[in-house]
Amino acid sequence: MDGLIFNQDKETAKDFLTNFADPDGEAKYMNILQDVANRKTKAVQIDLEDLINYKDLDEEFLRRVTENTRRYIGIFANAIDELLPEPTEVLLDDDPDILMTQRAEDGTDNAGGSDPQRKMPPEIKRLYEVYIKASSKGRPFTIREVKASYIGQLVRISGIVTRCSDVKPLMQVAVYTCEECGFEIYQEVTARVYMPLFDCPSEQCKVNQAKGNLIPQLRASKFLKFQEAKLQELAEHVPKGHIPRTMTIHFRGELTRKVAPGDIVELSGIFLPIPYTGFRAMRAGLIADTYLEAMSVSHFKKKYEEYELRGDEEEQIARLAEDGDIYNKLSRSLAPEIFGHEDVKKALLLLLVGAPHRKLKDGMKIRGDLHICLMGDPGVAKSQLLKHIINVAPRGVYTTGKGSSGVGLTAAVQKDPITNEMVLEGGALVLADMGICAIDEFDKMDELDRTSIHEVMEQQTVSIAKAGITTSLNARTAVLAAANPAWGRYDLRRTPAENINLPPALLSRFDLLWLILDRADMDTDLELARHVLHVHQAKESPDLGFTPLEPSVLRAYLSAARKLSPAVPRELEEYIASAYSSIRQEEAKSNTPHSYTTVRTLLSILRISAALARLRFSDNVAQSDVDEALRLMQMSKFSLYSDDRQRSGLDAISDIYSIVRDEAARSNRMDVSYAHALNWISRKGYSEAQLKECLEEYAALNVWQIHPSTFDIRFIDA
Amino acid sequence: MVGLPYDCLANPLGAVRLTFEKAVASGSDPAALDGKDWGAAELFRQFLFDDGGLSQVPMLNPSTINWVQPNTLVRFRGMIQDMLGNEYYVGAYKDGDTWRTNKFADASTCPMDASSDMRIWERRLLYCVPVPGQSSWVEPSHEAMKSPYTNSVSPQREKRHREDDTNMIDIDMDSEHDLEDSPNSKKLKIGTEQNSSNLSMVPAIGRNSLPCLVKIYDSLESDLKLNDVFEFVGIFTFDPDVTVDRDDNDELIDSFCEDVSVHLPPTKVPRLHCVAHRKLVVDDFLSSPILEFNPCAVKELREAVLGHLTAVLGNDRVAAQYVLLHLLSRVHARIDSIAVGKLSLNLTCLNKESMSVFGNHLKVAMENLLPFTQHLPLTLDYLNTVSLAPKKDYSTNRLVSGFLQLAEGSHLTIDETPLQAGTLNSNGVENARVLKNLMQSQKVEYDFTYYKMEMAADVQLLVLSEGKSNLLPADLVLPFRPSSVGSTFGVDEEMLKAWRLYLATMKLLPHSIESHVQKVIEDDLVAARQADRSLGSEEFSRWLTMGRLMSVSFGETCLSVEHWQMVKELEGLRKERLLGNM
Repeated sequence: MDGLIFNQDKETAKDFLTNFADPDGEAKYMNILQDVANRKTKAVQIDLEDLINYKDLDEEFLRRVTENTRRYIGIFANAIDELLPEPTEVLLDDDPDILMTQRAEDGTDNAGGSDPQRKMPPEIKRLYEVYIKASSKGRPFTIREVKASYIGQLVRISGIVTRCSDVKPLMQVAVYTCEECGFEIYQEVTARVYMPLFDCPSEQCKVNQAKGNLIPQLRASKFLKFQEAKLQELAEHVPKGHIPRTMTIHFRGELTRKVAPGDIVELSGIFLPIPYTGFRAMRAGLIADTYLEAMSVSHFKKKYEEYELRGDEEEQIARLAEDGDIYNKLSRSLAPEIFGHEDVKKALLLLLVGAPHRKLKDGMKIRGDLHICLMGDPGVAKSQLLKHIINVAPRGVYTTGKGSSGVGLTAAVQKDPITNEMVLEGGALVLADMGICAIDEFDKMDELDRTSIHEVMEQQTVSIAKAGITTSLNARTAVLAAANPAWGRYDLRRTPAENINLPPALLSRFDLLWLILDRADMDTDLELARHVLHVHQAKESPDLGFTPLEPSVLRAYLSAARKLSPAVPRELEEYIASAYSSIRQEEAKSNTPHSYTTVRTLLSILRISAALARLRFSDNVAQSDVDEALRLMQMSKFSLYSDDRQRSGLDAISDIYSIVRDEAARSNRMDVSYAHALNWISRKGYSEAQLKECLEEYAALNVWQIHPSTFDIRFIDA
Repeated sequence: MVGLPYDCLANPLGAVRLTFEKAVASGSDPAALDGKDWGAAELFRQFLFDDGGLSQVPMLNPSTINWVQPNTLVRFRGMIQDMLGNEYYVGAYKDGDTWRTNKFADASTCPMDASSDMRIWERRLLYCVPVPGQSSWVEPSHEAMKSPYTNSVSPQREKRHREDDTNMIDIDMDSEHDLEDSPNSKKLKIGTEQNSSNLSMVPAIGRNSLPCLVKIYDSLESDLKLNDVFEFVGIFTFDPDVTVDRDDNDELIDSFCEDVSVHLPPTKVPRLHCVAHRKLVVDDFLSSPILEFNPCAVKELREAVLGHLTAVLGNDRVAAQYVLLHLLSRVHARIDSIAVGKLSLNLTCLNKESMSVFGNHLKVAMENLLPFTQHLPLTLDYLNTVSLAPKKDYSTNRLVSGFLQLAEGSHLTIDETPLQAGTLNSNGVENARVLKNLMQSQKVEYDFTYYKMEMAADVQLLVLSEGKSNLLPADLVLPFRPSSVGSTFGVDEEMLKAWRLYLATMKLLPHSIESHVQKVIEDDLVAARQADRSLGSEEFSRWLTMGRLMSVSFGETCLSVEHWQMVKELEGLRKERLLGNM
């Protein structure tokens, strides 16, 4: 009964193998079989996906293949045996061929023996291996989801390889020859342990009572490459308060040597039990070990370019893109638990998006990655921002300027402890190639690394000439640096250049340098107090007023945005050029410049604008993008400018005036009570005396009238 | 049910078998019973909890293991130290025409041939150890354990009785299994001792190191978490005389043989097939009944505890107040990366001499008051050699316990005074980092070589040091000012019991802040920050935690302005001391 089904299924398998056509109309499996016949490949991988897509799909057949995979490998192998075409190329005779020819000759002599040990098992003739690969649709299992009910089935799991054994030969068919009768005896080995044969079972020996001695023939036996590995659950799949599970994986034949410890892989394979043998079985009795017989291996890749959108993500992105406010929405979703810093988050979002790389005709490359440096007082959540960005980016490395190994940030030549060979080992920047490298404590970086970081930030390569190795490695990475001011805290009495403790050559390479100062401000203090109180009371983060997007959605959106490469239209060129020259002019006028405006600044404007255009899913940079880019560059130093004004003392009066005017304009009133005005200005750190001074001064200018007793303000209509 | 046909206590497997047969007879498909209970667990639950059978079940510990019979019901209290994953076993098989089960058993009751129809089921293996740092008073007294068994019978008689019981069990007791108790127990003792020395898996906690391999059936994965303290009731198996056949393993020596029986041989680690389990709370460790608290009694108790702590701390009442708040702290929420509710304390100005007096007093006091306490003297050598955080050993596939694998609610005193100037190696740096991380975020990173996994912890941390500890940044730094060496001993047991109960109960009180108090606090915080720019969310958070603990220490669930003022005063005193110390 069972045999009947299997015979039927063999026909189904044959039908599938001969008739399946891939999207290009090629007979995929027949081509593979031709390659096998020509000895070009040894692996026949049957993709369940193809079986699902096959026009004459039999659901029942598919179910049987997934649930009894091991049996069906044999069925497919039998089907292939019958289908295998003649080689189309001339082949040199190999050892197995010679043996086979001999066997074929022998076979004619003493055919007729129905003895199973005399019959040649089909495995010995096969020069290929069959694998059945699980469909790659859907989410792979985690190790803990594979339960006893999956035994014998094809499953797909993901995990990290923790241990690997050496590759060893595993006997598949043992071949003996008998001393007496000279027959070749075959023994199929299905388990890891087998009992060798000693007595010749052939008809001839049995009749003669000869008990012929069997001599194992290693050359004639068939061996498989065999490797064992341990797979462990990924950290993100382990439920809270649990320990990662492990699973034993067996690799055979062509799948060996595909993994190394530390690799994150996705495997499909058959989940099987190993029954204990011998004494152990009696003792441990009823316990079975399990393993996964690997059928396919694929390594995980974490790059934007390889990011595949899953089912509903495309739709979600389309919906998001339609929404006008995408720029704000995305930036707010970055590190939502960090309060405020809207503009910093916007800048970080642009860093994640980046601009397209440009390659000029003469071979010069212009980088598209944005570099951002966050500089500021301790405790303004710089490090948290950095870590969050790394979590969002598909490929990111977080390091500190001082930290990491001898390899440092760039690269180092090291001696391999085992082979004594010199090997090149990439540092954080090289590891973050095509991703983001976040460097905390940038100011405390090693002098050596700091010099090589110049190259990384503009040329995006790391060159090395050490110990006879001269090479240059790619480091196409966006650098996100965080640094403290020169004296730990920003010192307002010193010039910005003194506070920013980095050489101009390095500084000019950052597209945006953000100064985050911790300023005395009633509003923020109250906000902070409320936040802490809320956390203690409600035992949850305060309501953000919006639901931040999931990092996975963010990632999907960014990867979609990164596929575009917006261009700058001709009519905008003039606009950008004039904006650039005005910045240069302004800087020339000022005696203590806050920034070093160079040609690089111009490139920065272009890059930021392009990134903004990418966010809008637009192929063209618009004027609004350029304006926003300029605004961001201006805002990044804003906290410095406002402090300048405050320091000068003279400007305090006009500042107070503008505060009062702005507040009045906002509430659309002509009258402002003294108490209100005092409230407003004290929040910005001004004293009552300064307010009075201001009131008098501007009343003299007839800007407003002051009530003689209450000091309430009434604006004179302008 | 009148007259159980089996004895749940002495022959639990009989009960399992009977219920299984009943289930099969009533038409259940044996194959469908995987991961399901067919009535056995319900039966045990009824026996243990509804009929009060729990107190009759002997507790498994180094002293009782000598006389507890295999295949009987025992209790085990311990912390889940490691999870060994799933074990697949033949759950049900056909013996001739009848289905039999192997659930709750190590080995089959009758030989079965490989060809017979069988179902593979799974169970989870948990490696449990006694809770690290368990105080001596926590252990239930042994008399209490034995007495309910048979009240009037002498222990000798009892044994006889139990032996009879075992004879009745129709489980094939191997001939190798010795029913004589005395030689058995002797071997066993050696066994357990070797165990603790050979496999350095068990944290060295001295007197009470009996690990146990618990096999869990049909329970949700999320029920049992690492480092949780549980009481397991289950069927005990332990074969001290069986030697694992080493020869058999030779062929597989190169392979990754991770069979549990090799690393945790049944000769050394007892097994428990769990039929029921429950998470333990502090109350379970306190023998006295729950007291009724009225505000007045709480205040008295608080004063008494404070008085005791003041005496322990050489008449330093400020320090005593802080220590009291510290002892009541626990992590009650985790928001983003912040553990809300922790309050670690750093007592400074302790040198070697004062340490020998006050350090010991404190240690004794903590042990008397809290169920789980640990003391860690930091030395350079220690930091450089040990691994504080647990680490996965891939060659044995075990989680090697570190000192910092502690149960929830443990108290850890870190003594920094023995620390000398010197160089830390990479191991030492790593340890210092782990300690710092625990101090700051109440998390311990478990090392899995390829990645690290952060496990949430809830440990009260008390640091004793000479100057302010920079290695271990505590929430509070308080210079210690003892004025006299008081005698702290001679506290009577009844008082201690009440104090323990006070601490344990108050710790779990809920807490809220009403809006008018909230306004006051808000204003206070803003004013404080206006006055001192260096204050940040950390300080604010700490004050609120202290406010909570202060009101909780009075047994109140709502923060009052009065208690908030007390916190501010206390902080004022501390600030004065800090400035005075500069």
